[in-house]
Amino acid sequence: MFYLRLARGYRVPDLGRWLLTALAAAVVAAFLLRSLGRAMSDRIGDADPLVRLLWCLPPLAAVAWFAAVAARAVPARRPERIAGLTAAGAGSRRIRTLIAGEVALACTLGSVLTLLVFLVLRNDIAGPSLAPDLGMGVPLPAAAPVTLLALVPLTAGLAAACAVPATEARPGGRTPHGTGFAAWRIALPTGLVVIGAALELIALRPGAAADGRPVHLPAGLGTTSTAALGGWAAGALGLALLTGPLLAWAGRLLALGRPTPLRLLAGRGLTAQAPRLGAPLAVLTLAVALVLTTVRYWIGTPDSADALPAVEACLVLGCTAAAVAVRLAEVRSDRRDVAEALLRLGTSPRLLFGAVALRTLAVGTTLLLTGGATAALAAAGLR
Amino acid sequence: MSAAPPDNDVLWARGIVKSHHGTPALRGISLGVREGEVLAVTGPRGSGKSTLLACLSAQLPVDEGEVWFNSSPVHTLTRAGRERLRRDRFGFVGSEPHLVPELTARENVALPLLLAGAGNKAAYTAADEWLERLDVGDVGRQRPDRLVQSQRQRVSVARALAPLPPVVFADDPTAPLHREAADQVLRILTSAARSHQLTLVLATHDPELVRFADRAVALVDGRLTAPAAPVPRGTAVSAASGASAVTAVRR
Repeated sequence: MFYLRLARGYRVPDLGRWLLTALAAAVVAAFLLRSLGRAMSDRIGDADPLVRLLWCLPPLAAVAWFAAVAARAVPARRPERIAGLTAAGAGSRRIRTLIAGEVALACTLGSVLTLLVFLVLRNDIAGPSLAPDLGMGVPLPAAAPVTLLALVPLTAGLAAACAVPATEARPGGRTPHGTGFAAWRIALPTGLVVIGAALELIALRPGAAADGRPVHLPAGLGTTSTAALGGWAAGALGLALLTGPLLAWAGRLLALGRPTPLRLLAGRGLTAQAPRLGAPLAVLTLAVALVLTTVRYWIGTPDSADALPAVEACLVLGCTAAAVAVRLAEVRSDRRDVAEALLRLGTSPRLLFGAVALRTLAVGTTLLLTGGATAALAAAGLR
Repeated sequence: MSAAPPDNDVLWARGIVKSHHGTPALRGISLGVREGEVLAVTGPRGSGKSTLLACLSAQLPVDEGEVWFNSSPVHTLTRAGRERLRRDRFGFVGSEPHLVPELTARENVALPLLLAGAGNKAAYTAADEWLERLDVGDVGRQRPDRLVQSQRQRVSVARALAPLPPVVFADDPTAPLHREAADQVLRILTSAARSHQLTLVLATHDPELVRFADRAVALVDGRLTAPAAPVPRGTAVSAASGASAVTAVRR
């Protein structure tokens, strides 16, 4: 009841976040129920049900990622609400529970709606083409869909609860954001990229065809060699982890020498925001690179495209893009005071806009490099 | 058409009215500030001091009334004109430092000069000298999150003074400081104003700080309650003799 009273004060961005979480949860629930329906229709002892269930993990992880990023942004986006709750006696644990509960509730709503559609379709409404996906004609054990559908709100709620920092849940208790990266945060991804590149070179060396292509890739992507897959995985992970430090370096490069106010504000701002922007941008870049490589392969190889991976890709892309948007909004809210102080100094809005544009250009160039390298590694493995 | 303001008033306001979402903050304030004087605006919290300073310093447009700076109307300026005026003519110190977190202390101080088109060398030399004067020269290369609150506020004061603007507005600048640090900051602020012939408008809720001013006006519930009261000469802090020559870019 208390939560519903809070929900009455929702603004459009809050409602958008809520609806997007519910929609994404509904799609993941549909994947889970489809794998259940298929498992009921298939013969016992078949290995496919487990593979199908594992295929539900990427979209589930995408929803959890979006939930975590969105939950982390709540204290920065709605400081007045957090201040009000704290003044009313709510501790950081209760605030964290409330934010996680909100995410779990949205996911539950999406999952329940999908379950209702699933049950209605099973009632001899769906055509014969959908019958195996719904497990029509086979009795549905009540515990199975409930257990599967509880996964979505539970995972997203837990991710959200872990993402809300205790210090940020208190008004005025925001931690200072460091502008540097520890040595291991640069050494580890660099090592991974080097290992990945080396493995790719081994996979592409003359005479590598003799090693065979024992790894069967999903989504109709054919087969590849172990070295190519390992090389891509290490390289992609390394590049993703290196995104944050690369953004920070791009910022330093912008403010190099004797910078003008435009370069100074753009560069230093980028260096300061790199630790917060790095992760969501890296995940989005990785997802886009992977999807583009897959689509390119599908176009080049007739009859290889598959509908379900395409839907999954759309969901993952949507969640990762929404996570970036939420993080950008969080950073913007956090910097409202700074923007006001700069305007008070007489800084023209045009200069602030120019700084943002220059920063965006630097971020775009960096992501083009990391994303391009990720896609090139993947494409090389598929050759 | 309204009458022109007196020639010796650098700032002049007549009948200014300002409301915040329907709540009246200023109810017809008329005020003149002479060139080079240190004017204290006193009053309890919520009396409209901050709003008055925001209106005088072209941060907020007035609902009614007139504001003039150097015989030029401020109340008719466009947003761009007010931005230019703030950048080129006014300095501002708030009760919170509001420094740019990703810039170092000296970059924060040099920023207004850079924004006004000064060269890097001149801007950073002035920044270093003002940081030294405010006893924070040793933390010039630190970012604000590494500084304690009193250091941050001193950097904010240095940022307002470094371009040597004709008028400096200080809205409760000693709020986050201990008594000793507050006295020192105000002494530097007022002595810099006097030695460089700057006009200083100082809002404070602490009646004791009036001793730093040449003149004081009291504000209660958005109205001036007393006419401009001269502060006894003996109690006002005099200009620092032989203030260090600060290399500043004065437009």
